[in-house]
Amino acid sequence: MSNRKEVAAASQSAAIQDSFGTIVRRFINEYWSGTSRSLKIIDAYMFYILITGVVQFAYCCLVGTFPFNSFLSGFISCVASFVLASCLRMQVNPQNKSEFSGITKERAFADFLFASLLLHLVVINFIG
Amino acid sequence: IYPEVLILCIHSCTSPIGLISEILNKSMRVSFFAIVFLVCMPLALCTTKRTLVLLENLSFRESFSQYFKLLRDNGFELSFRTADDSTLTLTKYGEFLYDNLIIFAPSVREFGGKLNTPAITDFVDNGGNLLVAGSSSIGEAVRELAAECGVEYDEEKTALIDHLRYDAKDTGRHTLVIADKRNLLDAPIIIGDNAKASLKPLLYRGVAMTADSANPLVLPILHADSTAYSFNPERSIDDYPNAVGQAALLIAGLQARNNARAVFVGSLEFFSDEFFGAAVEPADAAASGIAASELSGNRDLALSLSQWVFKQRGVLRFRDVKHSLAGESAPPEFYTVKDRVQYSITIDIYKPETGRWEPFQGSDVQLEFVRIDPFVRTNLRSDGKGTFRAEFQLPDVYGVYQFKVDYTRVGLTGLHSSTLVSVRPLRHTQYDRFIVAAYPYYVSAFSMMAGLYLFSFVFLYHRDEAAEHKKKE
Repeated sequence: MSNRKEVAAASQSAAIQDSFGTIVRRFINEYWSGTSRSLKIIDAYMFYILITGVVQFAYCCLVGTFPFNSFLSGFISCVASFVLASCLRMQVNPQNKSEFSGITKERAFADFLFASLLLHLVVINFIG
Repeated sequence: IYPEVLILCIHSCTSPIGLISEILNKSMRVSFFAIVFLVCMPLALCTTKRTLVLLENLSFRESFSQYFKLLRDNGFELSFRTADDSTLTLTKYGEFLYDNLIIFAPSVREFGGKLNTPAITDFVDNGGNLLVAGSSSIGEAVRELAAECGVEYDEEKTALIDHLRYDAKDTGRHTLVIADKRNLLDAPIIIGDNAKASLKPLLYRGVAMTADSANPLVLPILHADSTAYSFNPERSIDDYPNAVGQAALLIAGLQARNNARAVFVGSLEFFSDEFFGAAVEPADAAASGIAASELSGNRDLALSLSQWVFKQRGVLRFRDVKHSLAGESAPPEFYTVKDRVQYSITIDIYKPETGRWEPFQGSDVQLEFVRIDPFVRTNLRSDGKGTFRAEFQLPDVYGVYQFKVDYTRVGLTGLHSSTLVSVRPLRHTQYDRFIVAAYPYYVSAFSMMAGLYLFSFVFLYHRDEAAEHKKKE
């Protein structure tokens, strides 16, 4: 989080010369070097969920909402998995240690897994 | 309807077998009587020929002898009475004594005995057939009776006059009119199979009729030429005639919704021996456009009309209505939406020549599948032996439906068959288990689970680079 603050400050100070492309490149470099591997793994997982969700939604827009419960079930499965993954990322990120003081990485992961199991149970029930 | 015959049969059968029937058990007795009833049924058909003939005076039996002989040869039992006979009655103990009524008494003031217009219309309402003849001296009784049936005779002393198409034997008033076959209704069941093509010209002397054009049941069997009109031949014309041209009917028919038939003829002499045997000679052959003929067509048309009006021709019946799922033979307890079903009905037509019911050869019988409104309307295909079949798919709407066959054609009795069936919606186990349109959603849900599984392994067992650096150091 501190890295990002530095990037924002740097881009603000050199506002007029920097183009949008420079900002993006700097962001990518900072991200690649600054985030730990476990966070990158979670980010990859979240990206995969995002793609699945977008494809599903596009399919629903094209074909129509005929088995609406199936659509909801599949889409909610994606959305809720994304939310749970983002919760896990927040709790595992060492930069947030001050806000999640009593929660270890293992505990965060266990919560994430339990919630995901519940989610998938509900999804299979609702998908018809 | 035929109680006396039935009572007679049952009495004659049961008295010698009374003792034996006590020994038989109850169900056998019921079936025995059923057999007796069925034996009596063909007899029942023969008794649709009891005819009461009302005449102005009994000497009409001689002057109309050929027509009455024609009826007797076709199996009708005729009872002759004068129209004002005080013992006249159509019913006895609540049952009708006759099936047909012929009124050859146009000038009667009032019918005798228990007969009056309400009694005769009651007779028709209960299925009796009616043949009424009028003449220029028509009385109020017959006019009132005809008005009840939707046909209005013109007033007393009027006659149908045609100055261009009258016979040479006319006495000068031009009331002996020649009617040509082109003015006949195109209904072979009523007028005879070849009448429209080959019926000889008809002789007619009498009064004209008009029919209410709004009445859908009246059939204009023979109408006058456009040169004819109906007026009092003794008076000069100061009024617009009641019936002019083709609106003036010479013969009108009616088939009521209970299939009772009535025919109103404006000329009593149409049925006379004199007209049956007369030659037709138009006074002005060129103007009338009718060729002379050695014999009038009165006899042929009278026979065809009598066969139609007394329910010998054009009588349909149906039997064996069957419905089931396509390919099966027994009807199910209920149908389900979108089933394929098959329906069959057997229709017979009565043939007076043989006195038997024969398969009906119709090509335009339709079936309707109705729940308040018809959802399906399809043609029935005939197999040539009187069985009509159709196969179709039930609509996607559930409810209580009827298979309806509603066949009404000019001259034929109406055929109304209706069979009630219930069509149920799909049970919850009859829907598709997996919907093809939802496959992407199924795939995504399972891919989420697979992703979670893989992610957990990777997340838990990946080598952290900070720990690696530390190890290396």
